[in-house]
Amino acid sequence: MVAKMFKNVLTRRSLLGSGAAVAGSAAAATILPSTAFAQDKVVKIGFLAPLTGPVAAWGKPGLDGCLIWGEWINAAGGINIGGEAHAVEFVAYDNEYDPAKARTGATKLIREDGVKFIMMLGGDTWPGAQPVADRTGMLFSTLLPSDLSPDTTTLIAPCEVHPIYNVTGVEWLANNMPELKTAVMCAQDDALGLPSVATYLAAFEAAGIEMQYAPLLFDPATTDFAPVVTRLISGNPDIVCLDTCYADYVHPICEQLFQQGYGGQVISCTADFYQQIVAKTSEEFMEGFVFQFPDFDDPALNDESINFQMPNEFYAEYASRYGADQWGAVSWEYASIMDLWKAGAEKAGSVEPDAVLAAMKEGGTGLHAFGEADWWGKDLFGIDNALVGNWPVVVIEGGKATIKEFRSIPDWYAKHGELLKKHMSAYGQMWNQRT
Amino acid sequence: MTKLAALLGFGAILLALPHALSFSQQEILVFLTINVLVVASYRLLTLTGEWSLGHVVIMGVGAYASALLSKRLGIYVPAAMLLGAGTAAMVALALSFPLFRMKGFYFLIGSFAAGEIIRLLWKRFREPFGGPKGIKKIDPMPDFDIGVYVFDFFEPISYYYFALAVVGVSLWVMWRIERSPVGLTFHAVHWQDRLAEASGVNVRAYRTLAFVLASGFAGLSGALLAHYIGTINPNSFDVEQMVFVLTWTIVGGTATFYGPILGCVVLTVLNEIVLREAGFEQMRPLIYGLIMILSVLFMPKGLESLVRGALSRRNANRKMTGETEATE
Repeated sequence: MVAKMFKNVLTRRSLLGSGAAVAGSAAAATILPSTAFAQDKVVKIGFLAPLTGPVAAWGKPGLDGCLIWGEWINAAGGINIGGEAHAVEFVAYDNEYDPAKARTGATKLIREDGVKFIMMLGGDTWPGAQPVADRTGMLFSTLLPSDLSPDTTTLIAPCEVHPIYNVTGVEWLANNMPELKTAVMCAQDDALGLPSVATYLAAFEAAGIEMQYAPLLFDPATTDFAPVVTRLISGNPDIVCLDTCYADYVHPICEQLFQQGYGGQVISCTADFYQQIVAKTSEEFMEGFVFQFPDFDDPALNDESINFQMPNEFYAEYASRYGADQWGAVSWEYASIMDLWKAGAEKAGSVEPDAVLAAMKEGGTGLHAFGEADWWGKDLFGIDNALVGNWPVVVIEGGKATIKEFRSIPDWYAKHGELLKKHMSAYGQMWNQRT
Repeated sequence: MTKLAALLGFGAILLALPHALSFSQQEILVFLTINVLVVASYRLLTLTGEWSLGHVVIMGVGAYASALLSKRLGIYVPAAMLLGAGTAAMVALALSFPLFRMKGFYFLIGSFAAGEIIRLLWKRFREPFGGPKGIKKIDPMPDFDIGVYVFDFFEPISYYYFALAVVGVSLWVMWRIERSPVGLTFHAVHWQDRLAEASGVNVRAYRTLAFVLASGFAGLSGALLAHYIGTINPNSFDVEQMVFVLTWTIVGGTATFYGPILGCVVLTVLNEIVLREAGFEQMRPLIYGLIMILSVLFMPKGLESLVRGALSRRNANRKMTGETEATE
């Protein structure tokens, strides 16, 4: 009897119930709806990403974007669940890119705040939150599909299929600048850098571009990039690839490339806050810099195939609130995930995680920000929980990011999938190689 | 008798504490309990006068060893934790040969370099350490039922009780060491190393002993951490974490056994609960840094000086009261 009294076995039902019961203690991290709703129906969404520390650039701008998204949705009447309007409210927890804090944050968001969906950056932090996800059945999203495995049935990568989309930048370079024949690459030696290295290697091989040396992997604690860059450009390569370096690396590496007189092509996954790089180097140096994340004031995003709502207005609002130079790769991504979640919840007529997930994946396709896409990934991740379609190739022209083209990731994979698997295997990045 | 009652009362508070906290605060309590062992073991090392920058990496050695032993060899988790602690102590013993050729600032830098070498080895060798991604799906502590309580170690309360027992025993052992002749010799090595050496004390051997013992307890704390969160990677034990341990130790003070523990508890509660709940989620590093600077400026002897001051005032009052009563 006493054992029963003390027994505190956690089930998914009790967790979700207890979460709802104690909801409301989110303090100032909670973003409250601005519009009053009938019967005060509110659906809470968790935002569990780094808001401080070196990886904050891939968390904080996303939360800022979600604030705008939430205000707009609430002003337009909220989310329609089973015929009733619900306001949306974001509850944020700064996990500092630490798995232990991710576990604490997931527990708080689910058991105290009663959220119905949690958005994460993923990477090192996902394994910390995974036991909580497994116990509760909570629906999580990640920006890093390398978190996906057959065990992660409630984890989806519905926006950014990092790093697979990087193949589109290399393919575009090969098609438009066939004179570029040699490349070098550097990356931080971590969970973000390595799968990206494997992807770029596959993309360069598919494009017939020769790697001058093996990728130069540097420690994430590196602060002096002069020797890294000196080594990189010692063979006078046609292309310098910056892989998926954090903004804290991309900026000093670009400065070093500029100072050491490199005049060739630069390609990178991201160029967050690129205006600052232009200011630190020169417009001429940055001309033609290829990366993968557009500014949303780009007219190409007004195409009818684009599913992100009012991208130009979204960018203008973001820029007016936080400054155009604070726009980054993730500023729109978490908001675009919310578009998909909202559509799923409205279709399901429910905000319960399993119902929304089933509705989102119904038919095997979904409306990705950049067009219709397929739920995919069994080959690489062991589960079809990544939404893959077109992805933009962005080039800096006259100091401004410009979309040059949307290219299809599935089309590239159909032709070169085996190459990607080969390089992913070589770097131990296939789902069945993860320890 | 009064001390025993106070101790029992404190124990009762520790047992009841998680039931007064929210779910996320219970999680923080688990990590806090583990960190108490880290700072207490760090103080054991500093008793001989040496400050290391590799203590958190040694903690990681215990975490990696325990995780690998349980995951790869199927060793029962509590046994793997003890073996992890032993591995950390053995690694410290091996490192002591080059490191204790140095003293003071040079030892500090040497320990940092040794720690970074270990971290780089974890990154470089994907087999067995998992490379930069580290090790995932580490076996959790197996659940068990003792009749009056079911230990479900996913639950923070259950793990807190387990960690509390392990940390409690470890603290008692460290406290006994400090008050034993060995502990007194540690102090002698710190404050009068030449005199101690002239008296026949093998200074290097005692420094090594403190280093190995402290590392064993740090390894145990790492093992506790690994089997709770289920994942570890080289970044979990980087210099940033070491700075936290140093901060807790310095802000708390090292003159007393409880000083670093006090620093750890106060700063963790401040950073993880007070500032988050007060709505300063994204400004925490700024405020935390400011508070640290202020505490070092205005409390150079650490938080423990407040407790010592309060205790000495209370003793003085008691003495005065006693003298007054005797006069009357």
